[in-house]
Amino acid sequence: MSAVLRIENLRIETDGDTPRTLVDGVSLRVDRGESLGVVGESGSGKSLTMLAALGLLPVGTRITGGRIVLDDHVLVDVEAGVWAGERELRARRGRTAAMVFQDPMSSLDPLRAVGAQVAAAVRVHAPRLGRRAARERAIELLTSVGVRDAADRATTRPHQWSGGMRQRAMIAMAIAHDPLLLIADEPTTALDVTVQAQVMDLLAEVRERTGSALVLITHDLGLVAENSDRLSVMHQGRVVETGATRMVLAAPAEDYTRRLMAAMPAEQERATPDMRTGQADALVAENIVVDYRVSGRTTPVRAVDGVSVRIAAGETVAVVGESGCGKSSLAKAVLGIHPAAAGTVVVGGVPVRSELAGRTAAERELAQIVFQDPYSALDPRLTVHELVAEPLRIRRAYDRATVAALLADVGLDESYAKRLPGQLSGGQRQRVGIARALALRPRLLVLDEPVSALDVSIQAQVLTLLDTLQREHGLGYLFISHDLGVVRSIADRVIVMQHGRVVEEAPTAQIFSDPQHPFTRELLAAVPRLDGPRRTARAAIAS
Amino acid sequence: MTTSLTLAPALVVRRWRPRPGAIVGAVMLGTVLLLTAMVPLLPGYDPMGQDLRGALLAPFTDPAHPLGTDALGRDLLSRIALASAVTLGMTVLIVIMNALLGSILGILAGYYGGRLEAFITLVSNVTLAMPVVLLLIAICAVLRPSAGLTILVLGCTWWVGYARVTRNIAATLRRQDFVVSPLTQGADSVWVLTRHILPNVWPHTLIIAATDIATIVLITSSLEYLGLGVQPPVPSWGAMIFDGQRHLAGDPWLALLPGLVMLLAVGGVQFLSQQFTAETRGGLLRKGGMR
Repeated sequence: MSAVLRIENLRIETDGDTPRTLVDGVSLRVDRGESLGVVGESGSGKSLTMLAALGLLPVGTRITGGRIVLDDHVLVDVEAGVWAGERELRARRGRTAAMVFQDPMSSLDPLRAVGAQVAAAVRVHAPRLGRRAARERAIELLTSVGVRDAADRATTRPHQWSGGMRQRAMIAMAIAHDPLLLIADEPTTALDVTVQAQVMDLLAEVRERTGSALVLITHDLGLVAENSDRLSVMHQGRVVETGATRMVLAAPAEDYTRRLMAAMPAEQERATPDMRTGQADALVAENIVVDYRVSGRTTPVRAVDGVSVRIAAGETVAVVGESGCGKSSLAKAVLGIHPAAAGTVVVGGVPVRSELAGRTAAERELAQIVFQDPYSALDPRLTVHELVAEPLRIRRAYDRATVAALLADVGLDESYAKRLPGQLSGGQRQRVGIARALALRPRLLVLDEPVSALDVSIQAQVLTLLDTLQREHGLGYLFISHDLGVVRSIADRVIVMQHGRVVEEAPTAQIFSDPQHPFTRELLAAVPRLDGPRRTARAAIAS
Repeated sequence: MTTSLTLAPALVVRRWRPRPGAIVGAVMLGTVLLLTAMVPLLPGYDPMGQDLRGALLAPFTDPAHPLGTDALGRDLLSRIALASAVTLGMTVLIVIMNALLGSILGILAGYYGGRLEAFITLVSNVTLAMPVVLLLIAICAVLRPSAGLTILVLGCTWWVGYARVTRNIAATLRRQDFVVSPLTQGADSVWVLTRHILPNVWPHTLIIAATDIATIVLITSSLEYLGLGVQPPVPSWGAMIFDGQRHLAGDPWLALLPGLVMLLAVGGVQFLSQQFTAETRGGLLRKGGMR
């Protein structure tokens, strides 16, 4: 069996006087028709390696060693001095190997009709094809990836397409020339689980039809388990383990692989909650309604439609659902960032007004938030010390020792105090965000997807930290998440939302063992698991 | 794992590496500044003293007047030095006024949005539609032209660029979580505006200001050329070029020397500001990091 892609001893370094090694002697092999999963955490070099295979390395990085052979053509051989030119690379991209990127929101041009963009991808390698023929081919491709009424939809621009549909369009572009190899870089990370399942189904179906090989770059072991024949685990620029997916996952040989697997959210509920019945409830929100005014429309869009939540002190209640279901709007309404149109909010036993401006500083202290995106949550100019000190300064209660104690609470020692957010990792930033939220000793902590932007091993650490802090301070957590795996390991009770309404509410164990609502079942079924059903058509090939 | 566009601190420069253009620019501007600062300290500095017997001396002929004298026998070196101080001083004042006015309006528009923004946008469009030079001429038909008037009029009409840019940045910052966070902790708008919006906006203002200086130098000089602005006997680049123009055939240095100094100043600022923008752009648009 011949290889579609062979990478041998690839080295990638940064430019500059003191180059850093980003990819350090990586060897990978993808055979015709097989699917290879490349798993690793941020900075493991998995994306860079595959970008190098298409000659798409970002500015500031370069190949300093090794060989890349695509479909028996040597693209790069550093020792022999072979470097494929831009013209040859262009001829291969899209025809021999095509790429599906992570973020469907930014990979389509917002100003051009989707159909025209697919047609452009068709014409890149078929310039003789007329406009009309290219358009017809584009519609055909869109139909083949499951876009209904493709002829009509093709004329609309990307903002009218959902994330899942856009990713389908990206796949249509990628398969326009029946490439031997599809490279999918985190193709579903930005999507809901149910949509993720649809997109992965589609990729499997497309491969069945075209026989193309797949490289699936992901941080999600569950996704790899369900979708790849073989898997390579990357860590700090090296491949630490390669083998048939089933065998590696059943008996990982390397310590790092075992650690990755251990860091996956446990498929069991956490120990009995440490609820403080003597204290006032952390949150009692009743019949919350949230409306958004949309320009050009007279009636507002109802994001949350009469939702009630009750959280005891020391309890974690998770709100799960797909994007647009109203879970974040609910969180914002509780905090008053986007005031509720109707309903009552009582935090720590104190009734508060719906809009933030109407709440006194003392009332605002009661509920604090940890944001999803650790990058936009921290002012890039302030040091860690200043960031955590800010709430105390606002309340004129600043004290150096308190800040140090808060940082110690979240596991950051003195040496971090002078750093800027740019010098921290995602997990460390999130710790700073938690310390800042705890500074005013709130009764309720709203956690808006607090770990969704973090690597699995970091996720586990942050979740453990949250658990410890809750037991220490008797905090109530309103935990917003789309990730059922994470929810299972931290929540005491789960609320499932759909279209702004609660469709099911039950203790965590019951949601997972005996889901009542069909939507809950659908959500649960879509979560990729290590022992989930396999999508790949072919049997695993032993290495 | 989102790679977000962070508004990194623009002025934190990792390593200062001057480009050749910047060195040239620094030398050019440095010459002018040195001239402006040092000449008044030399013996024989006298920009106003007339000596009709020693009029129109060529440069390098009389050690008492290294660059020669003008039609009234005034020392050209002294006059150029004073003119540089006058024109550059006016320019800096005008740029500061516009930068302050534009940034404040822009930040308010971007942060508060709504009707305030609509109003500020309207005002900026009206300002943009005003022909500044004609306006100044019209005002001078009623009031006596003076340096103060020029500064006032130019200082209040050249701010739209600052407002546009800062409005956009402030509107982006407004939605950032780190701006929302203090509000949930009891802070008011003043706190957020002064602690988070302003410090993240002003580096951008500085960039526009750096590129604006050259333009304002040229505009003030053209106004001086037209006789609007600093009034004689106080010298200015524009007025000196206008005076020298009459002697262009016989004594061209009268117009050429102030012109050369102006070229050094404008060119120097332009070269330097390019280094500045290139350096900070790298910081501003750096991604949050590869996955």
